[in-house]
Amino acid sequence: MVANRSSTGSGFPASLAVGILGVILLAPLHSSAKESLPAEQVEFFEDKIRPLLVEHCYECHDSQNGKMKGGLALNHPGGILAGGDTGPSLVAGDPEKSLIVEAVRYKNRDLQMPPKTPLPESAVKDLEKWVQMGAPDPRPEIEDHAKPLEGMSAEEGRKFWSFRAPQAPELPDSIEEEADVIDHFVSKKLNESDITAAPQADRETWMRRVTFDLTGLPPTPEEIDQFLADESPKAHEKVVDRLLASPDYGVRWGRHWLDVARYADSNGLDENLTFGNAWKYRDYVINAFNEDKPYDRFLIEQLAGDLIPAPSTDEIVATGFLALGARVLAEKDMEKLEMDVIDEQLDTTGKAFLGLTLGCARCHDHKFDPVSQADYYSMAAIFRNSVNFAESSTGAIHHWYEHDLASKKEKEEFKEIDNEIKEAKKAASSYKSKIEIRMRGEARALAVDYLTACFDFETQDTLETVRAIAKPLGLHPRILFHCRRHLEVNKDTDVFSHWWKYRAANDREGARKFYEDKFMRSTLAFEEQKKADPKKKELEDPELAPYHAALFEKTGFLAVPAKSAHAFTASELAEYDRLQEEARLLESNAPDYPAAMGIADREEIKNTLPIHIRGNHLNLGDHVPRAVPAVFHEKEVSFPEKTSGRLELAKWMASAEHPLTPRVLVNRVWGWHFGTGLVSTTENFGVLGDSPSHPELLDWLSSWFVENGWSIKKLNRLIVLSETYQRSSHPTSPDIASTDPDNRLLSHFPIQRLSAEAIRDSILVVSNRLDSEQGGKTVPLRNRQMVFNHTSKDHTTYESLRRTAYLPVIRNHVYDWLHIYDYPDPTMPTGNRPTTVVAPQALLMLNSPLSIESAAAFSSRIRREADGTTDRIQLAWRLAYGREPNRDEMESALSFINQSPEETEHWDLFCQTLFASNEFIYLR
Amino acid sequence: MNPVLHRRHLLGSAALGFGQLAFHSLLNSEKSQAAEPNFGPRAKRVIFLFMKGGPSHIDTFDPKPLLDRDHGKPPPFELPRVTFAKQGNLLKSPWKFRQYGESGLPVSDLFPNVAQCVDDLCILRGVHGTNPAHGGAVLKLHTGSDTFVRPSLGAWVVYGLGSENNNLPSFVTICPTLAHGGVNNWGSAFLPQRCQGTPMGTASTPSKSAQIKFISHPSLSQADQRGQLDFLKQLNGNMAETNPHVEALNARLESYELAYRMQTAMPDAQDLSGESATTMKMYGVDDPVTEDFGRQCLLARRFCERGVRFVQVTHSDTEVQWDQHSNLYQGHTKNAAEVDKPIAGLLKDLKSRGMLEDTLVVWGGEFGRTPTAQGTNGRDHNPHGFTVWMAGGGVKGGMAYGATDDYGYYAARDKMHVHDLHATILHLLGLNHEKLTYRYAGRDFRLTDVHGQVATSILA
Repeated sequence: MVANRSSTGSGFPASLAVGILGVILLAPLHSSAKESLPAEQVEFFEDKIRPLLVEHCYECHDSQNGKMKGGLALNHPGGILAGGDTGPSLVAGDPEKSLIVEAVRYKNRDLQMPPKTPLPESAVKDLEKWVQMGAPDPRPEIEDHAKPLEGMSAEEGRKFWSFRAPQAPELPDSIEEEADVIDHFVSKKLNESDITAAPQADRETWMRRVTFDLTGLPPTPEEIDQFLADESPKAHEKVVDRLLASPDYGVRWGRHWLDVARYADSNGLDENLTFGNAWKYRDYVINAFNEDKPYDRFLIEQLAGDLIPAPSTDEIVATGFLALGARVLAEKDMEKLEMDVIDEQLDTTGKAFLGLTLGCARCHDHKFDPVSQADYYSMAAIFRNSVNFAESSTGAIHHWYEHDLASKKEKEEFKEIDNEIKEAKKAASSYKSKIEIRMRGEARALAVDYLTACFDFETQDTLETVRAIAKPLGLHPRILFHCRRHLEVNKDTDVFSHWWKYRAANDREGARKFYEDKFMRSTLAFEEQKKADPKKKELEDPELAPYHAALFEKTGFLAVPAKSAHAFTASELAEYDRLQEEARLLESNAPDYPAAMGIADREEIKNTLPIHIRGNHLNLGDHVPRAVPAVFHEKEVSFPEKTSGRLELAKWMASAEHPLTPRVLVNRVWGWHFGTGLVSTTENFGVLGDSPSHPELLDWLSSWFVENGWSIKKLNRLIVLSETYQRSSHPTSPDIASTDPDNRLLSHFPIQRLSAEAIRDSILVVSNRLDSEQGGKTVPLRNRQMVFNHTSKDHTTYESLRRTAYLPVIRNHVYDWLHIYDYPDPTMPTGNRPTTVVAPQALLMLNSPLSIESAAAFSSRIRREADGTTDRIQLAWRLAYGREPNRDEMESALSFINQSPEETEHWDLFCQTLFASNEFIYLR
Repeated sequence: MNPVLHRRHLLGSAALGFGQLAFHSLLNSEKSQAAEPNFGPRAKRVIFLFMKGGPSHIDTFDPKPLLDRDHGKPPPFELPRVTFAKQGNLLKSPWKFRQYGESGLPVSDLFPNVAQCVDDLCILRGVHGTNPAHGGAVLKLHTGSDTFVRPSLGAWVVYGLGSENNNLPSFVTICPTLAHGGVNNWGSAFLPQRCQGTPMGTASTPSKSAQIKFISHPSLSQADQRGQLDFLKQLNGNMAETNPHVEALNARLESYELAYRMQTAMPDAQDLSGESATTMKMYGVDDPVTEDFGRQCLLARRFCERGVRFVQVTHSDTEVQWDQHSNLYQGHTKNAAEVDKPIAGLLKDLKSRGMLEDTLVVWGGEFGRTPTAQGTNGRDHNPHGFTVWMAGGGVKGGMAYGATDDYGYYAARDKMHVHDLHATILHLLGLNHEKLTYRYAGRDFRLTDVHGQVATSILA
């Protein structure tokens, strides 16, 4: 029998009835047999059982009041018999086989009812007796409506828009070029709503918009001038092609995908170990975007790159996608952990590629979408065939699996490096214990002094008071402080009751003599005993043994403070810290073993996985075979015997006919350009998701995307060259706030706040500080090193001037600049970042070193590159905003500068204010 | 400013500040959508005293005479399916319990000062959790989930109740630990960013020097910064005026003003120079042993006075946490000595100021410890039964609620799972844990997930 764990919830096991489907020996005496129930049985029920059920069970198991926890109703005979989610809760006539009896007996820790407090013993006996009788139940039968499927059936699902194949929309003959299709569909909707589209934005505005959009950086004044001077009809296209070919494109667009892939350089969650090899996946993504890797290929590599015949290192690295999730690495229950990891992988895969919230079907059928619990476990069965954890660990902390990329020689070398680190750590800990041993010896030598010094103060006296007493006597204040507390707590013990007597008599000398004698004699006695029998660790003399034990007890009255800062002298502490720091740095700077995060197939492949009832790994139901969800069964997918099936799953997801995959991606790309997707819920194309604002356009783009080789760059190009994208951000209709407040119809270009990365990067560009080096490891910790221990010190620094996409992403402690400017939680796939306006953003701009130092650099740049206040202001404007200042702006700038035109700091302040301004961080 | 503002647009873009200054009414309407307090709140704010590492219940607030009697014997009960480490024989408590107050509730010698306040305590002895490892248990206690990243308790409270002071964060966490969940323990996850906790320092910072990050400019005078903000106003005003349909642009103007005011409000809240010597002494700020935690507790009171909704105070020693796998006696002695007086000081101070009435104080760790020994003189993690106590804020004082078994291993009577604890805390604040939901990724999320039951018997 598989028991249900009570500890998954508030003490309520998912159901009373647990997977026991024993033979029901006797038909229970209910309904039909009711009239013939013997009177004494009816009486017993009414007298004992009904009150018990009403008082202790109905709160959660009364179907008439809508309470059926665990699917169990105890308010009518059929309900008891039918039981909960996993079967009958009683076998009439056989208490030993009845789960209801087992539950109230409270012996099985995973099955206890009522959940908060056990029934009185007499009530348990009554229930046993009742079941023994055959569970006679005179209550009327109630028809519990079988819970209707809350979500959607597979059949219904096939009719839902996102599960239907994209329709080829009708295009009027007037459209000659593909470039016009977007505008056609957008205009169509605008016309229907009688909204006038805004005119085209001026060229400077478009230039700034498209440069940020495609590279995450501002255009340089030279680039702007060049574009403004280019009168050819292809001027826009030239800019776009240049930007798409720039390596900065991949940094910007790869970063978009890294949001979806919940990329991070550390595990976060319960234990924060460094993902020292995650950067390889980050670089893979950025390169993939720069190379314009076809998206179908990109998908397959991330889910199953390791299963592609003769995979390249890149393809293996790509599977990092499935390994990057945050895991509860110290989870003791490995089976639970495996299922949690699979859940995270399924949920992320579903949201990232399919716009499906598959995770919702872990515990029950999806409440809204056509995904049943069986579908979930069919998909989970595929993932269950993969290895997610390595054999190594850091104490109780599991290590995630990594693909081994090391040569034999490297393996040897790394053993040596690991040993060195181990030795360095040992050096610190042995230094600590050496000092502690010495301190203990010193304290023992002064044991009697400690005891007599305790005469002079009370437990509640402050450490300062104790220090004043300890100092002249050469005692350690913290040891003395503890000693006094020890005496308080051990008043009644053999050894210390004497101290209390002497103290009451204020007989200090008496105490001294007494303890000197005991300690001296016990020490000598032990020496003697040792000569006779060196193996004996404790003194046998019954009178002296307690004194000897007290004297040598490490945590006794002479305990050396456990905290080194309390125990050591300043110089000892400095040396200990130095050794620790040395070991830490040695580890941080040691090279990483050549490996890549990812997953691989298990040796033993299983075709099925049991459904986990209520998501509980201890409550298993029917086995289901590997499969894609039933709603997609129009196309059969078969899974091979010898491999996990990930590759087949990936290929199915990446097939041209898949209704979701291309739509979801095209929608993401649209959202990254316009700030909002055609479907605003980029991770949810289900029933609770948004419906597309322009369904025809979405379908047309999806088909076009697949026909054009799944090329994201081509899609970018199509979009940014459309008229829709080139519109001004000023709405033309005055009543737009009421007719289309969210601008879903795109009558004008939506003003967008720059991303955290783009804000920081443009500050660095404008101040001429940006380091444009690409790729490589940037987290300053070794793979699997602890990011945080109890010291809570963050050793990760963010002083690097590289593009923000290359800064370390430490889960649980994301860099302030990112975190405060709406960087997504790097444990959840995010396609659409929120944009908030909060005061900490202002504090960051006003007071952070990055802002202050960059402002100084920006200020010295304009003072160097231009002469005279007006020219300098002009240059500042061109660099910061990509345009000239107008008259009013020039005036306010001048009046600010002229408060103190000679002062460098004042210019710095001026420059910092430009960073802080709306126009610097909002894209028009 | 455009009078026709679209609400959703605003909420998406312009949730302001630590508080909710400019769009107070709008955020209120968001709030009412989120939670409809359907009963009178008893508490307006929470102080959560978090003892990182797992203090032992059977050595503090849950005496077990049978443990004394059967010391050294093998446990006469079944151990859990999953334990953190190997379990030894029964280990009695090194401390004596004494009865205190009118209620006569027992408290061990570890907490002689808190014991003086026992008539204000509601000692929950039947608390239990899910996870036997620190990280999982800390996350469970703070966020209700040990599996995924979810909003923290404090974030839910702020989401449900909003702020009472617009110049200060609504949720402050003083010297929190970055280990075992770190920011997630005060994060807002998918809730609006304004709900997240604002950390002051970390566990490695002495509370004396703990600061909110970037709260002041290293060199600029206030007057110069004022001049800068006036110039900024002119710059920002241009874009805001020409784009009235983008409310965030106006909100940004406000956010800078708010930040400016916070730069004074925060140091003011932290400035203890106006506190009397008696008060400082009461919290133990005058004693090196209690100074650090005493300061944290005193700061908590000061934040509460200024309308901060949720203050977390963490005792997380960087070397010797409440995690005595060995040397229980020494480690617990040290830790208790550091917190006992400050906590008692806080309770007495809140009471004398009439604040205990509507301030809920919660004390506890991520789990308790086993009655069985680990090694010779330590105790292992025990999530199956432990003690959390509450005081003030609408709970009955001088009450022990729930119980562990005879040896203190498992919660046995009136059990309260961490979810129940959360449900009860929200209830005391006037929030129904089943109705305080937030829709994210197609699902309505709750702090208590699908669990949680309010412990009605402890409500005053």
